[in-house]
Amino acid sequence: MMQSSPMNFRRVVIWIGRLVLAGIFIYAGYAKLTMGMHPRPPIGVALTFFQLSVDSYQILPPWGVQFVAKTLPFAEIALGVLLLIGFGLRIWATLITLLIVGFFAAVLRAYLLHMQINCGCFATPEPVTLQKVFEDGALAALAILMTVFAFIEARKPHPWSSESGAEKASA
Amino acid sequence: MNRRAIVCGSVAVVVGMALIWFGTPQILAAQSAGAATPAPAPAKVTIGAKPVKSSTAASSNRAAAPSAPQLISVGPVTDVDVHKAFGSKTAPVIMEVFSDFQCPACKTLYLATNRQTMDNYVSTGKVYLIHRDFPLPMHAHSKVAASYARAAAHIGKVEPVEQALFENQEKWEATGDVDGTVAAVLSAAEMKKVRDLVKAGTLEPLIEKDVVLGKIHNVNQTPTTVFYAKGQTYPYAGQISYEFLKQFLDQLLAQK
Repeated sequence: MMQSSPMNFRRVVIWIGRLVLAGIFIYAGYAKLTMGMHPRPPIGVALTFFQLSVDSYQILPPWGVQFVAKTLPFAEIALGVLLLIGFGLRIWATLITLLIVGFFAAVLRAYLLHMQINCGCFATPEPVTLQKVFEDGALAALAILMTVFAFIEARKPHPWSSESGAEKASA
Repeated sequence: MNRRAIVCGSVAVVVGMALIWFGTPQILAAQSAGAATPAPAPAKVTIGAKPVKSSTAASSNRAAAPSAPQLISVGPVTDVDVHKAFGSKTAPVIMEVFSDFQCPACKTLYLATNRQTMDNYVSTGKVYLIHRDFPLPMHAHSKVAASYARAAAHIGKVEPVEQALFENQEKWEATGDVDGTVAAVLSAAEMKKVRDLVKAGTLEPLIEKDVVLGKIHNVNQTPTTVFYAKGQTYPYAGQISYEFLKQFLDQLLAQK
């Protein structure tokens, strides 16, 4: 018999994570491509402008800077949409978590090294401050929780599955 | 897990995320507002506004006599001190650099990036480069350095003095001897004029004007570079490597 999904704590966290992280990722990718301008600048201008931010972290070689700057905005939008859709959630949640943890590590490193650089998170001038480190840390924590809970929940029978199916799954 | 805990936890997470999200500086509003953002009580500056015919500040050794401060508008950029601007005023791209002589990142930007930009883009008429002074209060001698550099600019010696100040940044930062650093690259007669200008304080309003303009652009760190091209504004805070600046400028110049 069909029943409504029981909203336990893990499912709530998964939902919040999906909504918040998907929203941020889609917005971040969109902001990098449009730079918040009307009319938006050509994509080439936006991506080469974003290269300045990626390069300023002094982590990647020039080819890596170009690769990241030219693919990240599109990847952010795609991952955000896939996370919202929820099909293959564990895959997209894992990828997003890896990205966010990477961002967090880069921002933390820049902060600890007192680098006077542009965060580049939303393609707008934004210095790397302690607040920015905490923001990224909070997002990384949310992403990790969401992903871990998604894996835990996936082991359980789906609450909408039939009782017989659920019993088989539990057996 | 009881329902109350779930609801409280959810609300806490949502509120926390909202605080994080909206607690950041209002970058987007500042971006969209651009130059139209009201200035934070800008000081009224009495200055001349007579346009000058000279297309470059650097190329000419100006008359040695201290001239009245002259500010012009170039494209969307207002209050440009021609003595601290370089290149053709009709260049398709304008670069406005807010800089502090005591800031290490500004030194790197000047020595590693902007000098190459001057050679390859400014001198070829592709970019008009404006140097704005933005001395940060945290730097004890940067205001003095800005005064000396501005005075040197007004006697046509902006380049050697800016170069000397940046190249010897650590030295005068430690000793506070800005005067000696500038004197090392100027003749005695030039140095006297510079000292007279600094002492008179007639150029201070220009520095204050730059700071006000920086605040309008929400400059909160140095260096901050604002690019203008095709009616659009691209503000960027932080260091820029020449390799990627070149790619960005080429993209801006390639716009139809």
